[in-house]
Amino acid sequence: MDELEEIKATFFQECDELLGDLEAGLLQMEAGEGDSETVNAVFRAVHSVKGGAGAFGLDALVRYAHVFETLLDGVRSGSIEAAPELVRVLLRAADVLADEVQAARTNGRADEHETASMVAELEAWIAGEPLGAEPVVAPAAAKPAAPPAAADEDDFGFKPMAVLIPDVAPIDEAPAKAGWTVTFKPAASLYAKANEAGRLLRELGRLGPVEVELDDADLPPLDALKPEEAYLSWTVRLEPEVDEQAIRDAFEFVDGDCELTISREDGANEETDLAALLASLSAAPAPGPAPLEVEIAPLAPAPVAVAPVESAPIRAAAPAPAAGRAAVDHAPPQATIRVDPERIDRLIDLVGELVINQAMLAQRVVQHGFAPSSDIAMGLDELEQLTRGIQDSVMAIRAQPVKSVFQRMPRLAREVASQIGKQVRLVMEGEGTEVDKTVIERLSDPITHMLRNAIDHGLETPSERIAAGKPPEGVVRLAALHRGGRIVIEVEDDGRGINRQRVRQIAIDKGLLAADATLTDEEVDNLIFLPGFSTANAVSDISGRGVGMDVVRRSVQALGGRISISSRPGEGSTFTLSLPLTLAVLDGMVVDVAGHTLVVPLTSIIESLRPKPEDVRPLGPTGAVLAVRDSYVPLVDVGSVLGFRKSSVAPSEGVVLLVEHEDGGRAALVADVIQGQRQVVIKSLEANYRQVEGIAAATILGDGRVALILDVDAVVAMRRREPRAPEPTLHAAE
Amino acid sequence: MNETHAQSTSERRELIAFCIGEQEYCVDIMAVREIRGWSPATPLPQTPDYMRGVINLRGAVLPIMDLAARLGLPTSETTVRSVIIVIKVDERMVGLLVDAVSDILSITEDLIQATPDVACDRVRSFIRGLITMEGRMISEIAIERLLPELEALAA
Repeated sequence: MDELEEIKATFFQECDELLGDLEAGLLQMEAGEGDSETVNAVFRAVHSVKGGAGAFGLDALVRYAHVFETLLDGVRSGSIEAAPELVRVLLRAADVLADEVQAARTNGRADEHETASMVAELEAWIAGEPLGAEPVVAPAAAKPAAPPAAADEDDFGFKPMAVLIPDVAPIDEAPAKAGWTVTFKPAASLYAKANEAGRLLRELGRLGPVEVELDDADLPPLDALKPEEAYLSWTVRLEPEVDEQAIRDAFEFVDGDCELTISREDGANEETDLAALLASLSAAPAPGPAPLEVEIAPLAPAPVAVAPVESAPIRAAAPAPAAGRAAVDHAPPQATIRVDPERIDRLIDLVGELVINQAMLAQRVVQHGFAPSSDIAMGLDELEQLTRGIQDSVMAIRAQPVKSVFQRMPRLAREVASQIGKQVRLVMEGEGTEVDKTVIERLSDPITHMLRNAIDHGLETPSERIAAGKPPEGVVRLAALHRGGRIVIEVEDDGRGINRQRVRQIAIDKGLLAADATLTDEEVDNLIFLPGFSTANAVSDISGRGVGMDVVRRSVQALGGRISISSRPGEGSTFTLSLPLTLAVLDGMVVDVAGHTLVVPLTSIIESLRPKPEDVRPLGPTGAVLAVRDSYVPLVDVGSVLGFRKSSVAPSEGVVLLVEHEDGGRAALVADVIQGQRQVVIKSLEANYRQVEGIAAATILGDGRVALILDVDAVVAMRRREPRAPEPTLHAAE
Repeated sequence: MNETHAQSTSERRELIAFCIGEQEYCVDIMAVREIRGWSPATPLPQTPDYMRGVINLRGAVLPIMDLAARLGLPTSETTVRSVIIVIKVDERMVGLLVDAVSDILSITEDLIQATPDVACDRVRSFIRGLITMEGRMISEIAIERLLPELEALAA
């Protein structure tokens, strides 16, 4: 990867974050919780995407982001009202932006038609005439429109300013002649990042009366002029009341891409904080909400940039200037560093090795006869504490909030709902819940499935809901929480619940259930996870291909997880998914089989027992079953299935692990000795070798040797065909 | 490694020579990551007989291939002199179990002769060529051919 590509990759990573922020901000606005800072954050996100795209010459993305940005700038300045219908358009615009970013990332093309129609819609809003196609409510359409592109060309909009101090004592000590001099010389890189000097100058214009002087002394003759160079600089004089921070903020996006000096014209550059605050107050444009204006009027020179009178009512409707720029400058971004995940994996490997080494050392110290109270043994105890501490901290580095998965879901919900004509509101909780990155990557698919299912099957259509006395809009709740050392994901809808009668009938019709079986309600609900089960009346492309939930359950179980559903007729259903917090470690039962040490995942073990000889009954030529409390469970000799020994041992001489395998059946695995339970670090066999049938992965034990982790489902399946296929010799024969 | 083929004949490269029984073989030093003593491997079920199993290489699971068995030679008991040559081929690491490391050679490409017809197919497919040095015959292993077999078996 060359350097530019690397920077580009970083840009796209940032885009993901920015798009997440954008959507989060818009959702806040949709919920009516957005303040002016939210609008600013939304604007900044789109602006940053545009800026980066410009630097990489991603023209299609720049063009689209520019239109989007222009509209948001209008909203930010208050010339366009952030009405609910506009926010909905903005949400869809954000989806299209995500598509455009994706297209740029893969060098592909986004859906041109979709983009074009979105651009048309956005432009209509900028022009103040939302498209007829939008279900626009009167106020937005009827509002006095700013002239087209006004937001961009003539941008003297409302800017939130500090009003934190309720009783402002009149102070008139601001030196009359003092003023700011700002010299601003853009570098070529500023333009390359799709910023423009004009916008910045207009931004300054918002702060108060300005005097701008252009310095074109560096401008070469036309034949020597390079079109991509920067030759111009400006000197801007501002009123003394303007807050220095406000000036600096105007240049926030071009930091490093220009030469900038900000100085006071006279010596009076020390002012009290209060005076600075007042100064920023005075910079608030006059057409703010009336009470504010009255209060500050005696102090403030009327800003020169008076907006057209017609637009005043709209501005009044804009979010109240609840907080000032100086006071609430957006929360400082969380300091983070980007690290190549491979480096962390390497660190985790090394720490795992350290833990093993420490254990070996401790073992040797005991072997050499040191007493537990000796200095050496005690020092080793401390070392153990430290290594465990390091291990926990290193694992915590890889822990990530589930937010990265959750933030994709609102869009999915919107799309699914609009495809099938349902109304849905997605409520998300616990987005900050942390889980290992190995698990995060695997959460997306099951959550997507559960969510689609909840909207497609769970929720009723708006008319059905009204008939049932519910609001037409269905609510789906997506929540993440920690419970008992696992992460639990719940997807809950307030729909009709599972029709148990129908589910039962379908299961019987498809031969999945005996007609006279007696099942609890819960068992009936969970029939939907059976392979080949589908209750959808019509096969849609959203869910209901009959490969849905059983596939989800299998993939979840493969990760050591569980999934279940519970339902309340008429009130809704809840999917509950639980997974281990990390896929890097596993709780296992360490057993000996024919001289080999194996680890059996604890999640699949129901119980371990020592069978009596009379409980073992032969069945057929080679098979045997074990009687466990009135039911018969097939016996599987792990040693002979894996080819560790030729003939099976008598189960009564060893121990039996009763396990549950993927289709819900049970089996009894025969092993020689149980060594104990242990948490083991999972190591891939495929990384350097290949998959081995019957073995899920490997791990390293305290003595430094590799032990194999048993794939319970595979071993049970291998047992079934064991009589006719002498597997090991086939492989060895090449 | 494949890029060695492209080298001009005058460029020198280094090889690590080792013994299997009475015979001498070598591999390109650029593919060798480390050489370590023998430690007992954990056998893997359902694998060809030339796979001795896996060992712990500083936290990674390293498969061990008995090179003698792979070449169809009689396998000998592992001794204290037995070594594992850890090589890297296409992002995969594998340990080759051999009897002992014997030499480091510095050769030019023109010293390598083609493998004569007499050898059996299996040996010929794993040998890149023969090197004569001080009266010894040393065969260079085509390491990239040792491993694709693993993938074919997995399929």
